[in-house]
Parts: sequence; structure tokens; C-alpha cells
Amino acid sequence: MTDYLLPDGMTPAAASRVLARELDVRNGSASVSERAYYDTFDGLLHDNGLTAVWEDGQLALIECDTDRVRARAAMPKPTGPVFATDVQSGPLREALRSLIDVRALLPLVEIRTRERALDVLDAERKTVVRLSIQQPALGRRRLRGRVHVSPVRGYDKALTGVSDALGAKLGFETAELPLVDEAVLASGGRLGGTPTKIEPALAREQRADAAAVVVLQALLEVIENNRPGAIADLDSEFLHDLRVSVRRSRAVQRELRGVFPPGPLAHFRAEFRWLQQATGEVRDLDVYVLEFDAMRSLVSEQVREDLGALLDVLRRRRRAARRRMVCALRSERTDRVLAGWSKLLEELESLPTDERPDARRPIAALAGVRISRVYGRMVKMGRAIDASSPPEDYHELRKQGKELRYLLELFGTPLYPDEAVRPMVKTLKALQDVLGRHQDREIQVATLRSLAPELATADDGPAALMAMGMLVERLEADQQAARDAFAQRFEEFASRQQRELIRDTFA
Amino acid sequence: MSTVLATYNIKGGVGKTSAAVNLAYLGAHDGSQTLLWDLDPQGASTYLFRIRPKIKGGGRKLVRLRSDVAELIKGTDYEGLDLLPADFSYRHMDLALDSFKRPTQRLARVLEPLRGEYDYVFLDCPPSISLVSESVFEAADALLVPIIPATLSSRTFEQLEEVLGGNRGGGPLILAFFSMVDRRKRLHRDVIEQLRGQWPGVLRSEIPASAEIERMGARRAVVAAYAPGGKAAQAYEALWEELKPRLDEYAPRTR
Repeated sequence: MTDYLLPDGMTPAAASRVLARELDVRNGSASVSERAYYDTFDGLLHDNGLTAVWEDGQLALIECDTDRVRARAAMPKPTGPVFATDVQSGPLREALRSLIDVRALLPLVEIRTRERALDVLDAERKTVVRLSIQQPALGRRRLRGRVHVSPVRGYDKALTGVSDALGAKLGFETAELPLVDEAVLASGGRLGGTPTKIEPALAREQRADAAAVVVLQALLEVIENNRPGAIADLDSEFLHDLRVSVRRSRAVQRELRGVFPPGPLAHFRAEFRWLQQATGEVRDLDVYVLEFDAMRSLVSEQVREDLGALLDVLRRRRRAARRRMVCALRSERTDRVLAGWSKLLEELESLPTDERPDARRPIAALAGVRISRVYGRMVKMGRAIDASSPPEDYHELRKQGKELRYLLELFGTPLYPDEAVRPMVKTLKALQDVLGRHQDREIQVATLRSLAPELATADDGPAALMAMGMLVERLEADQQAARDAFAQRFEEFASRQQRELIRDTFA
Repeated sequence: MSTVLATYNIKGGVGKTSAAVNLAYLGAHDGSQTLLWDLDPQGASTYLFRIRPKIKGGGRKLVRLRSDVAELIKGTDYEGLDLLPADFSYRHMDLALDSFKRPTQRLARVLEPLRGEYDYVFLDCPPSISLVSESVFEAADALLVPIIPATLSSRTFEQLEEVLGGNRGGGPLILAFFSMVDRRKRLHRDVIEQLRGQWPGVLRSEIPASAEIERMGARRAVVAAYAPGGKAAQAYEALWEELKPRLDEYAPRTR
């Protein structure tokens, strides 16, 4: 499928006449289509060369380069976020589940297109290429007209002939973007959605304060971008991405503390901690709700249904927690924190360096020292852990692991050789998986226990309590399994080879 | 996984090609990816779609699985409906099939690479009982059997039963319908009543004997394209609507 743009000022009717002079065509029907396009906030469909289109009571997943419908399902026009689970079971639901997972499809643009079909014919009067002359519009605003060329299978030569006629003979320009992308740009949107990953461009010899600013401004942008979606509860990933960026910002505040003036830094560290805490409960409950089916599958089939009451309690709690969180995210305090932080970052490089001993150090050297210190601390903490250690010890080690991971992602990857960073990230990730599982189970068990009094008052409370007891047992067993796996993972993470690599690369 | 439907009758001139072409069109019109394989060396379906009755390498190379079948397919004038054209060499298909160890599985094997791409595959078969038809019975999930309202038509069922009797239980679903019906003729009405009494499984929809259908050859198009809303187009629609639930009930055969 290729689109050609009509020359400036050429109307679709004039284009029809020009094409009829050049090609043997048959006029087809004229129609008006109204299509609403959807994608996730971070453009997961666009990343995969796809788009979701609603038209005439059907939502379809379409391949942008071929126009092929990969899957479709009947549904009313979406008025809010659409999750894979909102689509009736079938191929579309399955396709969306693997593409967007827990993200929601959100409205992108609505395009109204007047179309006239033209069939290009061969000597037998058979259609060998399909053309459609289109006049698309965004509301009242007209976009440039197009000729949409669709091949007919088995008639490649005819397609080449039509392409030559449109391009070389008539001088129609090939459209570089699919119509939906052009419409997104025309409506002020961003192609491929709003990125949630940051890729800061850093140089090894760059001043540490300047490098910190690049990274922290990118993180602040992610926080700001995701704040409205988290408040509106469009999907759980807005809050998650916001929190990850807050946590990463806090790691940079801690690890590169010597590039900031101490007074303002102390203030913003406290305020970012507050922001983290104000959003924590909802995120924990989000994880429960999202993972509920997986958690439910831990107990025997006979009692799975009994856990329904538990899900109701979790949802109720989440609603209450969200009310508190939304107040915090909408508050003047949050406005002040983010605006103040942005201002400090803007000014940072111009501030005196008397109280900022690391400000002028090259970032690679400073980040290298921090990576190697945090790694060393983790090795020490991990060696002190044995079978009798309390859960808090595992948790503290995990927190250090997150700190190290952020340092590696934000500064290690852009500044150090891949062959040193990659194995480090690999063994760290393996260790963090075990520590994360251990801590998640710890918190899950504690939360379930705290829910017991509320659950007991529900209609089917007793049955749910029994089922919950079984679930707690399974979760504790899984926590123990994570503990058992810890030693092996830690050994790989803290191996002599790894320690030498860290020393040679970062220290 | 596609559902393979073959329009089949031992007799010629009973409306097999008309049924195959119009039902395949309706399948595609519903939004299903549909392929029609014109197995008849006369190439009537191919002619109706204005496509050249020729495939690269001929029928022998195709059944030897030496051709890339996907490369031989042509799009028709109707979106979603493709054709695997006829070739005059199909007249020797029996001989070509006979040279294989398991000749009757051959057509199913040719279709194998296409089963993920198409929802429906229609086979428009030549009128005969031969190795080709046995191969069709093996490949098809259902046989669509047009019966003309003539006394001798009762033989059609008996012969089909004879042929398919050996693989009862694992064979294709047989879906017969009356074709070329002229309700003004008393003989047609009587024969239909009598045959329905004998074979209550015959579908309720009837395809009329109609000038609209006869014009297909001159118009080289499906009935719905030049006589939409006409009696013939409506009759094919009714037949298709009656067929669909029957096909859904009968899951495609696993091979």
C-alpha cells in the first residue's frame, strides 16, 4: 500500500479526471468514512507498525504498511480508555493483550474522509489495482488530498505501471507518513506517543552537575507527562511510570548529592520522599488487582471463586487510597515541588560551587565511584545475609540493588563500555528478581492479614477467609523458595570475576 | 484454520460453478478471507473473474508441491476474494495424482500452506467420480451438492453414499441443496417434495432457475454485483446464511 499526495491546489475531482486520462479506470462508489484512531499513551501500537481504528461499530487492529486487518471485534465507539479485557474474547482481545498488556487504548485522532474508489483495469476489464482518491479532514480542517493505492494480489506488473504513472508521469509525491500519522502531527500530537524511557545524551568529561541536570530534567518531564493520566486513572502505568521517575530522581539526588547546594537538596529530597509515599499505597493496590488472577491461581481450583470477596475489598481500598492520592497529586504542594525542582535544575550550573564539591568533576569519574561504592556495599550486605536473617535485611539489600540499577541505567549505559555494563545488569537483575519476589510476598502476606477484619464482615466472608488462609500459606512457601534461591544468585552477582570487572571499569 | 468447501456433483450443468462463485463472494463480503480454487480444466470460474486460466508450471508441478502455491493466487475484483486459477493441464490431474503413494491426500497438501491465511477455501470441482474427486473428498470439510429437481437426481445421493460410505464418520459433511428450481413447474415441485421426504437433511434454501444467473457468463461477474437485491442474489444469500451455522457446528477436520 502506498499513498500519493495530490499536488497543492488539485481537488479530488480534478485528480479523478487526470487519472482517467492516464490510466484505464472504472469509477467506483463515493463514500464518506469516519474513523477514530487509538493507541496507548506511549504508542505501543505505533512501535509495532499498527494502529487501532474504530469504524461502523467495529474496532480493528490494522497494519499501517499493508492496511491488512490483523483482528477486529464489534464494540460501541469507545468513550473512555479501552483495555484488552474490554474487548469481547477473540483474536482482537488476544492480539491486544500481548501488545498493550495492562495499558489502555486512548483516543488519538478522528478523521473524516470523503473517498472515491477507482479501479484500474486490464484488457479483460478486470481490476488489477485499486485506487481511492481521498479528501481527509480533522474536524473542519482539511488535510492534503491523497491517492491511496492498494495492490491486487498477483498483479505486480500492473502495480508498477500505476506507480510509474502517478509518480514519474503525473508528478504526484509519495506520502512519507500514513494518513493517521499526518493527522496526529496536524493536531499537535507526537508520533509514537509520549516516551516513558529516557535516553540522556551524556559525555564522559561533562561536568557532573550538567550531566545530572540532563538526566533529572528528562525524569521530571516523565513525571509531568504522566501526572494528568495518573490523576484521571486512565491506566495503571501512568502512576507506575511517574513513581519510577520519582524514585530514579531520588537516587540521583542521593548518589550525586555533591553537585547540589545542600539546603535546597535537603528540601527537595524530603518533598520527593513525600511524593513517593503519597502515591505508594495506590500502586501497591494496583499490583494486587493486576496480579489477582495470577495470585488466585496459587490456590486450588475449588476455592478460587471464594477469593472474589477479597478482590472487592482490594478495589474498595484502592478507591479510598486513590482519593487521597489524587488530592496530593493535584495539590499546590506538588505544583510547588515540581516547579521549584525545575527552576533549581535550570539554575544549577550557574550556582556557586563552594558547597557543591562534585559539581565540576567529570560525570564518568563521579558516577563510576558511586557505582562501585554501591556495588561494594551490596556485596558486604549480601554476605551478612543467611537463612536466619530477618526479611528487612533482604529488603535493605533490594533497595541498594535498585539504587545500583538506576545508576547503571542512567549513567553506566551512556558512559561506560557495554561489555562491562551488560553482565553487571544481567546478574543484578537476576538477584533483584529473587529479592523482589521475597519482598512482594512479605508485603502481600502482611496486606492480606490486614484485610482479614474487613473481609470477615463481607457476605461470603468466612469462605473468603478460608481461601485467603490457603493463599497466605502459598505465598509464604513462595517467599521461602525465593530465600532458597538467593544464595546462588548472590554468588553470581558477587563473584570474583564480577568484582574485578567492577574494580577495573568503575573504581 | 480455514474451512474447505467443495461444490460437487457427478453431473455437469447443475449450478456448481455458480454456487461456488457466489457463495465465495458472500464469504468475502462477510469479511472472511476467501479463496476459490477452480479445479475444472474448463475454467468457468476463472473466466467469470476475468482471470487468465493458466498457472505457472501447470497442474502437475502444483500437485507435486514444486510450485509456491501462494505465488499462483490472483486477487479478484472483490476485496477479500482470491482465486487459484484453472489450467488446461488439470485435465490430466488424475494421471498426475495417480503417480503418488497417497494420491487422495494430495490436494489437501497443496492447500496446507494457505490454511492460516484464508477463513474459507472453496473448491470448484469438475463433474466426475475420479481420483480428483476422491482427493477433493479428502481435502474438504463439507461438500456443497447442488441437485436439480429431476427424478434421476435421487441417484446422486445413492452414488455419493456409495463413494463416501467407506470413510463414514471421518468424511466431509454433505450439504445438498436444490438448484435450478422452477417453482412454476409442477414436476419440480413434486420431485422436490418427494426428495425432501426421502432426504430430510437437504437444505431449505433453493437456487432458482433464473436468467439473472445465466447472465453471469455474459457479465463475467457475480450475481450480487450486477443484480443486487434480485431473486437469484437473495437465494444465494439465504443459502449462505443457512450454511454458516452448519459449518460453525462442524469444526474443520484436523489433518
